[in-house]
Amino acid sequence: MKEIQLAIPVFYPMAGALITYLIGKKSREARNYLADFIVVSEFFMLLYGAVCLQGTESILEGVCGMGLHFTMDGFRGIYGVVAAFMWMMTIIFSREYFRHYRNRNRYYLFQLITLGATIGVFLSANLYTTFIFFEIMSFTSYVWVAQDERKESLRAAQTYLAVAVIGGMVLLMGLFMLYTSVGTLEVSELYEACRNYPDKRVLYISGSCLLVGFGAKAGAFPLHIWLPKAHPVAPAPASALLSGILTKAGVYGILIISCYMFYGDTKWGSMILALGVVTMFGGAVLAVFSIDLKRTLACSSMSQIGFILVGTGMQCMLAEENGLAVHGTFLHMMNHSLIKLVLFMVAGVVFMNTHQLNLNDIRGFGRKKPFLHLTFLMGALGIGGIPLWNGYISKTLLHESIVEYSGAPIFVFVEWIFLISGGLTVAYMLKLYLSIFWEKNTDAAKQVEFEGMKKSYIDKQSMFAIGASAVILPVLGMTPVKTMEKLAGISQGFMLMHEEPHIPRFFGMVCLKGGLISIGIGVLVYLFVIRTVFLRKKAGSASYYVDAWPKWLDLENLIYRPLFERILPFIGVFLCRIGDSLIDSIIVLLRKTLYKDCKIPHRTGSLPKLDAVIGTLLDKGAVYLKKREESVSYRWKLGRKALERRESRDMIRFSLSYGLQLAGIGMLFILVYLLL
Amino acid sequence: MNEKLLIIAVVLPIILAVFIPLIPFRKRAHMEIYIEAVVILTSVLVFLLLFNRPEELVMLRFTEKVTFALKIDGLSMVFAGLISVLWPIATLYSYEYMSTEEREQPFFMFYTMTYGVTLGIAFSANIVTMYFFYEMLTLVTIPLVIHIFTKEAVLATRKYIYFSIGGAALGFMGMVFLIRCGDGSGFTPGGILNGGTAGVGMDLVLLLYVIAFLGFSIKAAMFPFYSWLPDAGVAPTPVTALLHAVAVVKAGGFAIIRLTYYCFGTEILRGTWAQKVVMVLAMFTIVFGCSMAVKETHMKRRLAFSTVSNLSYIIFGATIMTPAGLLGALCHMVFHAVMKISAFFCSGSIIHQSHKHYIYEMDGFGRRMPWVYGAFTVSALGLMGVPGGCGFISKWYLAKAALESGNYMAWAGVGCLLISALLTAIYMMAIVVRGFFPEKGFNEKSIENVKDPSWQMILPLMLFSIAIIGFGIYSAPLTDFLTKVVNGVF
Repeated sequence: MKEIQLAIPVFYPMAGALITYLIGKKSREARNYLADFIVVSEFFMLLYGAVCLQGTESILEGVCGMGLHFTMDGFRGIYGVVAAFMWMMTIIFSREYFRHYRNRNRYYLFQLITLGATIGVFLSANLYTTFIFFEIMSFTSYVWVAQDERKESLRAAQTYLAVAVIGGMVLLMGLFMLYTSVGTLEVSELYEACRNYPDKRVLYISGSCLLVGFGAKAGAFPLHIWLPKAHPVAPAPASALLSGILTKAGVYGILIISCYMFYGDTKWGSMILALGVVTMFGGAVLAVFSIDLKRTLACSSMSQIGFILVGTGMQCMLAEENGLAVHGTFLHMMNHSLIKLVLFMVAGVVFMNTHQLNLNDIRGFGRKKPFLHLTFLMGALGIGGIPLWNGYISKTLLHESIVEYSGAPIFVFVEWIFLISGGLTVAYMLKLYLSIFWEKNTDAAKQVEFEGMKKSYIDKQSMFAIGASAVILPVLGMTPVKTMEKLAGISQGFMLMHEEPHIPRFFGMVCLKGGLISIGIGVLVYLFVIRTVFLRKKAGSASYYVDAWPKWLDLENLIYRPLFERILPFIGVFLCRIGDSLIDSIIVLLRKTLYKDCKIPHRTGSLPKLDAVIGTLLDKGAVYLKKREESVSYRWKLGRKALERRESRDMIRFSLSYGLQLAGIGMLFILVYLLL
Repeated sequence: MNEKLLIIAVVLPIILAVFIPLIPFRKRAHMEIYIEAVVILTSVLVFLLLFNRPEELVMLRFTEKVTFALKIDGLSMVFAGLISVLWPIATLYSYEYMSTEEREQPFFMFYTMTYGVTLGIAFSANIVTMYFFYEMLTLVTIPLVIHIFTKEAVLATRKYIYFSIGGAALGFMGMVFLIRCGDGSGFTPGGILNGGTAGVGMDLVLLLYVIAFLGFSIKAAMFPFYSWLPDAGVAPTPVTALLHAVAVVKAGGFAIIRLTYYCFGTEILRGTWAQKVVMVLAMFTIVFGCSMAVKETHMKRRLAFSTVSNLSYIIFGATIMTPAGLLGALCHMVFHAVMKISAFFCSGSIIHQSHKHYIYEMDGFGRRMPWVYGAFTVSALGLMGVPGGCGFISKWYLAKAALESGNYMAWAGVGCLLISALLTAIYMMAIVVRGFFPEKGFNEKSIENVKDPSWQMILPLMLFSIAIIGFGIYSAPLTDFLTKVVNGVF
């Protein structure tokens, strides 16, 4: 039991998924309760694991080829708990959300299998195990995106699958290279092995392969394309998980590479940092432009992953003095998971009632719904980085870590991009918040309908799920030193940080300054960009949001799809054609030249002499015996027989089997000759 | 055990099969029972032999160096074990499939005879014996390919004959050389040339190796001699599934392994231009087969191209010419057999139930045939190499062997494996996704009469699916056994 205890939370939900599926065929209610039970018990199992099983390891020898290896430490424990918590809340919320959906059985099946796989990723102690569960997770979560089977969903799911598969392959290549060069995939041995490995070039190449694989899942630029497409079409509980936790599985991988393979490596650090800055800023800009509730949140996720990558990059840059970056990265990961959980569930409530996500359609939905209003506000304040909410703490830590590194003037630029991205976050959240909860819908009848949904828009269970998730955010944010720093302290060992961190005064002027600058920028952007450029007046008095993002400027449709659907297949088909016709054309060429069929000789109608003589004799004899002219001529009969014989002889002589026979006999002769 | 049993195992199915068209069975079921009994009897005998391996059986001695002999060594155990497990299952499956076809009795006669011949290849103790059975295999499978007697079938058979005879001629050259220059013993790990090439120039030896390799690679459908395999897909599905995914084509791979590791010996081949040539061909075929599969819309042809690609995985493993490479090759030989036979059986079930052959006609079938499509999905994921399926294990071993060999060409091979995995994902998942997620506006009524087949077809599918996942999760006993085989323990 001891040896496999950590494998239990991984395989338990997977086994549970099958049972849930079978039960679901008989009774829906029983299935829902069973699913609830599985996720709740999973949550407590991980909580127990995180508290009591610190430092234990589980090795399943020989499973999946190389064996699976799980371990439990502070970071893994906390992230396992966060994952299980998110699953618990979304499954509870799913019951109401999916009330009118088809194929719910399938949804639960894949939801639970993915839970197991995700826990497998977070508990993995070697990259091989990480990879295995990472792939399983990618494939099972594909079904979430395709859940409602509309055309857009299938297209988005296709993109998701393509990115996952390609990412997975590149990841695998990286693993192969890493394994053959340093000889281990164990995370704990990786640091030593990589430090002692002489050829850094190989490490950079394999590290980059791994980065592509993990980065694709994390949603880092330029492989973020699946994110804004998949989230809006997936069911809300699934989007919450996709954005809150599946992307973090990618970040987990990036952290392993950055902390263990490239600890204190400035080159690698600047690469990650650059990637982070682009992702952070790009995501925020996309979010500002977007007028779809879930798409905005998805782009926001991309941007927040950028923040996390910035932190990861700073860890590498700062080497031994990376305390702030380590804490900032970890806390921002955790905060983002928790915040997005709330926000996507609120978006789910909106969608479940209106079946719309466009801001113009759902405008004013939140009016007179204090519960929804409050919970959304918690999420918005959290992600906007408002002091007293949790996002502020982690952003401050990240900001301080950038400030701490006084390497080059470029870091002033990085710092400003960081602050501006924070500002854009405030701006797009303001846009969402004000339009949903304060502004009135342009369609007055709709507004009346929205305001009429007093209690009926959400049931008790969902309220619990959203409420409980939302309460955590300000609680964490108001007690940064007691809660958040403690958690970060527990998990810092994973990122190879061992000394006591220096905790900044979160509510001192120095720290507040950064936050306030961001908020200031955000308000300005909202007032002068969003309200003037994106909010257009119609002919009448009503105003509406416009999607100002140029349609053609879409990385997927501009580059990836043409590349993978047109250009590469064209080249491939071209080469295949050549290969395919190679042998055939050689054969045709040979047949036209060397191996021409010899002409079947043209025979004259004349009879063979012997036949003619015998036939004539027989004819004469017959006439002689019967004494009269015979109607049947033997000569003619024999002649026909002879012709038939000749024809079939020719046929054999010019046939394939005759050739084969000769070839076979020839071979026999050669053999006999050689042997004797 | 008595070594005479070796020849009995080979001859038993051949002789008993001859009686299939002769016995006047009153019911079809009687014939089914008879055939199944023959096949199971043979399989049991084979397994008895595998567990208590007899000495070498020399049946005929033409000259000092040329003998007709049977023996079981490690490699034979792998191949014979594989086919003796799959044959009874495939036979069970073929009953329902063939119930709608004509001329069942001759079909089953040749089908069962093929079993004996394939066992002959597995048990051959030297190259002469193997060559004999190898040619027998060509002859005995011709009636199976031509079975439906349509124009395409006749043309495909003609192509098959041309290619096989050509291959035989090339293989023959290699055989003659080996008889001439070898030390006269049967297959030995490490080769029978003993380093000496008996006065023949090294380049000539390598040239002969390449020629013989190409000859035997025709059955394994390696580029440029692959095109008979997709065409032969006109044969009934039990034939394509068992013969063109396992028995015949794997016999090609088996022969190549015999040739490389047990005749010429990897010592003299490793690092030479000959290795480069064959490796490049294998690598090219890996990508080429997949690309052709992506392009193809006929389901069975697509799977056939997939076989082309996957067989080259095996050949690629063999051409790495290290023990690890051989391990990868054997591993993939076993796993691919299970996965591909499962995929073919699924396609056969679909054809049998709906008479649809093209992938674009199969929208939404997954809903109507959950068992078949479930099994197909498992085999698709396995073939792609998703962790948890057995394809992942063998690909892992192959890639590992390639990287460890220190041969830079092999590194490119890993790239080919990954590209091929990506293409596999495209051509297999396209079928799965169409089956389960037809586009909106799809008329479910139009496929109302499509449904899962009877248990005789479902049972083999389930067995294979369990095997795919089972080996994917826990393959240690098998890989341990294969490692022993590779290291020449057996």
